[in-house]
Amino acid sequence: MPAVQETIDRVRKIDVDQYKYGFETEIAVDKAPKGLSEDIIRFISAKKDEPSWMLEWRLEAYRRWLTLDEPTWARVDYPKIDFQDIYYYAAPKSTPGPTSLSDVDPELLKVYEKLGIPLKEQEILAGVQKTDASELEEVSDNVYKSGRVAVDAVFDSVSVVTTFKKELAQAGVIFCSISEAIREHPELVQKYLGSVVPTSDNFYATLNSAVFTDGSFVFVPKGVRCPMELSTYFRMNEKNTGQFERTLIIAEEGAYVSYLEGCTAPQRDENQLHAAVVELVALDDAEIKYSTVQNWYPGDAEGKGGIYNFVTKRGDCRGDRSKISWTQVETGSAITWKYPSCILRGDDSQGEFYSIAVSNGYQQVDSGTKMIHLGKNTSSRIISKGIAAGFSQNTYRGQVSAHRKATNARNFTNCDSLLIGDQCGAHTVPYMEAKNSTAQFEHEATTSKISEDQKFYVMQRGISEEEAIALIVNGFVKDVIQQLPMEFAVEAQKLIGISLEGSVG
Amino acid sequence: MNMHTQPQRTPAETALIDAFGERLSLLPGDGAVMLKRDDAIEAVKHGLPTRRVESWHYTDLRRLLNSIPDFDPAAMARAIAPVIDGSAVLPVLNGKSEAKMPAVQGVTFQRLSEKLTDGSIAPGLDPYGSDDAIGALNTAFVADGYFVDIADGTELEKPIELQNLQAGGQTHVRLPVRVGAGAKAVIVERQAGEGAALVSSVSQLVLGEGAEVTWLIVQEQPATATHLAQFKAHIGKNAKLALFIMNAGGKLVRQEVMVKTTGEGADFKLRGINLLAGDTHTDVTMVLDHAVPHTTSTEVIRNVVTGKARGVFQGRINVHQYAQKTNAKMACNTLLLSDDGEFSTKPELEIFADDVVCGHGATVTEIDHDHLFYLMARGVDEKSARGLLVKAFVAEVIEELDDEAIVEALEARLDEWFLTHG
Repeated sequence: MPAVQETIDRVRKIDVDQYKYGFETEIAVDKAPKGLSEDIIRFISAKKDEPSWMLEWRLEAYRRWLTLDEPTWARVDYPKIDFQDIYYYAAPKSTPGPTSLSDVDPELLKVYEKLGIPLKEQEILAGVQKTDASELEEVSDNVYKSGRVAVDAVFDSVSVVTTFKKELAQAGVIFCSISEAIREHPELVQKYLGSVVPTSDNFYATLNSAVFTDGSFVFVPKGVRCPMELSTYFRMNEKNTGQFERTLIIAEEGAYVSYLEGCTAPQRDENQLHAAVVELVALDDAEIKYSTVQNWYPGDAEGKGGIYNFVTKRGDCRGDRSKISWTQVETGSAITWKYPSCILRGDDSQGEFYSIAVSNGYQQVDSGTKMIHLGKNTSSRIISKGIAAGFSQNTYRGQVSAHRKATNARNFTNCDSLLIGDQCGAHTVPYMEAKNSTAQFEHEATTSKISEDQKFYVMQRGISEEEAIALIVNGFVKDVIQQLPMEFAVEAQKLIGISLEGSVG
Repeated sequence: MNMHTQPQRTPAETALIDAFGERLSLLPGDGAVMLKRDDAIEAVKHGLPTRRVESWHYTDLRRLLNSIPDFDPAAMARAIAPVIDGSAVLPVLNGKSEAKMPAVQGVTFQRLSEKLTDGSIAPGLDPYGSDDAIGALNTAFVADGYFVDIADGTELEKPIELQNLQAGGQTHVRLPVRVGAGAKAVIVERQAGEGAALVSSVSQLVLGEGAEVTWLIVQEQPATATHLAQFKAHIGKNAKLALFIMNAGGKLVRQEVMVKTTGEGADFKLRGINLLAGDTHTDVTMVLDHAVPHTTSTEVIRNVVTGKARGVFQGRINVHQYAQKTNAKMACNTLLLSDDGEFSTKPELEIFADDVVCGHGATVTEIDHDHLFYLMARGVDEKSARGLLVKAFVAEVIEELDDEAIVEALEARLDEWFLTHG
């Protein structure tokens, strides 16, 4: 038992303050007054130069929100949020859409440098709207060698810059901030916004519909395979602000897109609210792969501060043979309340959910997925790995259902939990509902600690204990890591290492 | 800003509250018992649970319980032959125990009405929580049952069969059983009848150190009855409990199983088969608490869904923080044989200790076509082949009980069900 004791001791000593992205940046900001009212919504809408239908849409959501109660069914515990004590809009004062490097606030550039967004990316970041095509190509060429990723950077309430826009446009792909999309492509936004997550969906989604400030918009037209990975980087910087972003991704018939989001926030004693909505629409034969590396500030070792992350993510496999795949690595946030789901409406459509949720300190994670089988011959696969350490609570909550007409629905679910230390908890709450006799559902879940046998086996081959545990944990999450785009798999693996530092070395 | 209005009472809620007013003077109990009854009916007044109450997610009692039969003093139920030959039978007929009880060495029987009257049962009457609608309903109305006490070291040769039989109306029965240290017993809980009754039945079992009990619940209510039952057990040090549940009837059935391991080395085994036909709604909900270190449990539930039946299995395993070295496994397998039937399952794990091995598995599927082909290739016609496979699917669980007399008796019940529904 001494080895186990050692692990427990180390976990206890874990300094959650090791959060690398906890710095704060002094940047001149433009803020709306604190609190929430119809006036604030009008203010946000006006700031964004939105058409009147958008404002109406927001106001309707707001009125609806006033009638809703906060959901309490999740296994998370937190003091009541005062929704009037939050800034709903904060934007860096620099002009959005800088035309040259010198226009981009150097402080902002430094932030992204610190966050480790590749240097090449920054050149692109700064030069995004340069009109000289040859120069752009030259830069892209350089980036190409190191793997090309187009980035939309969202800082507090606004998108500061989007890279590779031109090149993507050549392929017919629209990748821009949602505010821009509302102005430039209103017909697309009007057609799809709220069609997957309606404004009345749930408390946080309704709030988001009323006050969302930015986010990304992706449109991949018929038959186009998006030429590069798309990514959005969310950064919450300003004190007492909430971040409410809205992402809308549409893949038309036969299109393919892979999208990644990353998020960080400064280290603060107060809790900050993040309530995002992500909607995915896949038409016939389309495929969307959505990956998240969520690393919001998790709070300090005493559980003080951290982000409250209440997110609604849903994909609609609207077309036949469409496919939506969610991959998430959740290591941050004080509270995570997140259930990326798939509505398998089209015949032969597929949904996938791969998740690693690592919790430490006083983090509380309540996450999982919903697979709603409506079409014929639909299949879904859920792989969830929860790792709980410290004083954290880690819950998998998922639902799989086959409706009357969903003949031959097929689901496989596997959710495993690993516990490190005896002060944490791991919970599994799966719901399975079959209303069709041809449905085939399988669910399995296990909870255990790293077994002495496994550790012994590895150590016997001359590997130190710390490395042995790291190896076993990496093996435990391998199924999920494999689903991430390569560049991010490395990042995710490192993140897991940092999150469990002290317990897995 | 939000609306929180008390929803209007349903006819069933009103009927229950009215019935309580009428019955109160007829119900046995001392001051303490009567206070518990008052508290319990208050809970009913707050409304029956809806699907918004998590533990009732798939059984919206408020919506499903739409009519309450009146108490029927004229109803006459008759004792039936026991499941296992030679058992000592204690029948509760239409909610009333019999004064004449069999004599079994080392076992004391007492009518529950006496224990209500003298108040000695009062401490056990509390519902376990605000969502314990069955416990509250039973505490409010319970009139009789049996108390069984098996002395330390008693090893029973023949089973005891507790029969709860109804012929319409309402019956509310409680069956507390204490099994002393080192004692061994087989107890059958028989739930049956022939009326459109409302039945609530609560069994409470306490197992002393090293005791070993096999408890069989055989539920064969008619397709008109509402059957709300609860089985609660505390398993002491090194004690073993094997619980077998067979649900083969009823219109609206909810069987709750609340088990707690209270001593190290305790072992719990649950085996259940739910044979669902017609338009029954049958819900088996288990909450298992591993509260001390070094305890083990396995649960296997097999369901067969035909017709328009709806089945539910909710199983929650709680492993408390100090319950290190817990080993718990749960499986729920369902054969969904009709397109109008449905089955919902929610196997939960709530784990607060790190040195444990816990797992659960759940499947919902139809008959394996390969198996069917295998049999048909050997000249078995499709109907018989299906029958064979379905029966094998549930019989497997019975065979695990490993006691010839019990296995034979249960297989006979199984055959009977297949005769009428196969």
